[in-house]
Amino acid sequence: MSEKLKLGEARAPGHTYQQAIVKDASEPPAAFLETSYEFLGDGDIPYTNYTSRDYAESEFEKLWPKVWQMACREEHIAEPGDYQVYDIGHLSAVVTRTETMQIKAYFNACMHRGTALKSPGDNGSCASFRCPFHGWVYSLDGELVDLPESWDFPHVTGDSHSLRELQVDTWGGFVFVNFDPDAEPLYDFLGVLPDHFKDFDLENRYTETHVCKRLPVNWKAAEEAFMEAYHVKETHAGGREFSEPVTTYDVFPENVNRFIHTVGSVNPRMPEAPSEQQLMQMLWGRRGPEEGECPVVPAGMTARDYYAGLVKQQLGETYDQDFSAYSTAQTLDSIEYFLFPNFFIFPGLSLPMAYRFRPDPDDPDYSYFDLFFLRPKHPEKETPFPPEPLMLDVEDSYTLSEGLGRLGAVYDQDTDNMAAQTRGFKTCAKRGQTLGNYQEVRIRHLHQRVADYLES
Amino acid sequence: MREITHPKIPDSSSAVLEAGGRSILLCNSGGTHYAIENRCTHQESPLAGGRVRNGFISCPLHGVRFNLKTGEPIGDLARLRVKTFAVIETDDGIVVALD
Repeated sequence: MSEKLKLGEARAPGHTYQQAIVKDASEPPAAFLETSYEFLGDGDIPYTNYTSRDYAESEFEKLWPKVWQMACREEHIAEPGDYQVYDIGHLSAVVTRTETMQIKAYFNACMHRGTALKSPGDNGSCASFRCPFHGWVYSLDGELVDLPESWDFPHVTGDSHSLRELQVDTWGGFVFVNFDPDAEPLYDFLGVLPDHFKDFDLENRYTETHVCKRLPVNWKAAEEAFMEAYHVKETHAGGREFSEPVTTYDVFPENVNRFIHTVGSVNPRMPEAPSEQQLMQMLWGRRGPEEGECPVVPAGMTARDYYAGLVKQQLGETYDQDFSAYSTAQTLDSIEYFLFPNFFIFPGLSLPMAYRFRPDPDDPDYSYFDLFFLRPKHPEKETPFPPEPLMLDVEDSYTLSEGLGRLGAVYDQDTDNMAAQTRGFKTCAKRGQTLGNYQEVRIRHLHQRVADYLES
Repeated sequence: MREITHPKIPDSSSAVLEAGGRSILLCNSGGTHYAIENRCTHQESPLAGGRVRNGFISCPLHGVRFNLKTGEPIGDLARLRVKTFAVIETDDGIVVALD
C-alpha cells in the first residue's frame, strides 16, 4: 500500500481503462473516456442492512414507493389493451397501452374492495379491466365504465372511483413507473444516462431472452455481485494469474454509477506483455473448444480490433444486420450502467443485458433477478414478441435457458456465492462488509442512496 | 376416433370449431396450431377472442392465461387446466382429435 497517495487515489497497477481503449482502431464513445470517481468513505457496511426485517420494512415504506423503476419494455405492451404487471414488495402496478397508444400505469387494485385486478407478474391483453370479484369494469384509460347494481352505490362516481394512476414515463424503450405522485420527472432521475446513451439506440432493441430467478440473498447483495469486477479472478477464473480485467469505476449524480472493463486487452500486471496472437488465443479460448482453430491476427492489427471485427461479422450474420459501425469498445467490453435502485443496462453488442432486482416481499434473505438479453431490432423484419420469462428457482441453473448460451454457467458462478454470503452475514464476528475504496465504490454508492431515502 | 378438420389459421389468431356438442378453440401461436376447449376454467367464459401469444391465450374476461400445449393456467384466479385436444397438421389443414 502506498503511503504517498491520498485516500481514494489508489488505482490498479498499469494503464487505465481509458488508456487502453484509446489504442483501439475505432473511436470509442466519448462517454467511455470520462472518469467520475470520488472517494465515498471506507467504513464498514453493516450486515443488518441486508438481514434486518426492520431495515427491509423501512425500504418498503420509504424507498420503493418513491423511486423510478423499470416495469417492462415498450414491446411488452405493443398493442392497445396489452398489459404487464409490475410488483415491488406489496405494491403492484398494471402498465397498459390505451386505445390512443398512450402508456398508462394504475395501482393494481379494484376501487370497490381492493381486489387485485391482475395476477402477480402477469401479462396479457384485455379490452377493459374487469374485477373478477363483483365485475366492476374500468376502461383502458382507467375510467370506471360499468358498475353492476349501480342503484346501491349513489356515493360512487367516475371521478371518485376510477383507477388511480401512477407516474409513468419511458426512456430507451423501457417503461418506468413511480408510485409517488410528487416524484421528480424521470429524466431528472436518470441523470447522465440519456446523454451517455444518446448514440446507443436502445429504443430499437427487442427482448430476445428473459430469465427470472429467485436468489438466496438480499436484493442489495444480489446487485453487488454484479457491481464490481474484483470478483472475476476468483469467481470466474479460478484464481488464474493475470485474469483481472482493466476496469473503470465511476459514480455520477445522483442515481447512476457504472463499470466498464476491457475484453482482450493487455493485463498490465503481466511481467511480459503478451503478443497479439497470444491475446487472440485468450479471447478465442473463452468461446469453448467447439469453435475450432484460433484465427491468426493479421500483421499490424491488435487482437482486440481483429476479434471485434469477427464478432461484428458473426453477430451480423446471426441477426442479418450490419454492425460495422460499432466501435471495438462497444462491441467487446463489459459496459454496465446502474440506475438506482434496481436497474442495470449494458449497451454493448456482445454483452447486451439488462438486469432488474427486486426484494422478496416477506423475507430479506431472498430476492428476484430479472435478466434480459436485448438485441438490435431488424429495420425491416417484424420484431419478435417478448418471450415468456423462464422462471428459475434458487436451485435451478441458468444453463436451463438456451438463450443465455455460454453465459448461463457464468451466472451460476455468480449465484453460487450468494447463499454462502447470506449465511456469513449472520455469523461473521465483524459486523459489516469491508469494501475496496475504488473497485467497490459502487456498492458504497448504493448504500448511501438507500440511506438517503430511509433518513429523509 | 372422432375428428374434425379445419383450414390452417394465421399466426396469433384463433377460430371456434363447433363439434360433437363441444366448442373448441383452434389457436395458432408462433406457427404451431393448438386446440383447447373454448371455456375458461375460472368462470366458464369463452376464451375466443383472447390474445394468443408465446404459446398462451389470455381469457378476454379477466385475463387468466392458459398454456396452449398443456392447458395449465397461470396466476391467482384459476386452478384447473383447460382441456386440450391433439392436433395433426396435414396438407388439408388441421385435424383435431375430439376423443
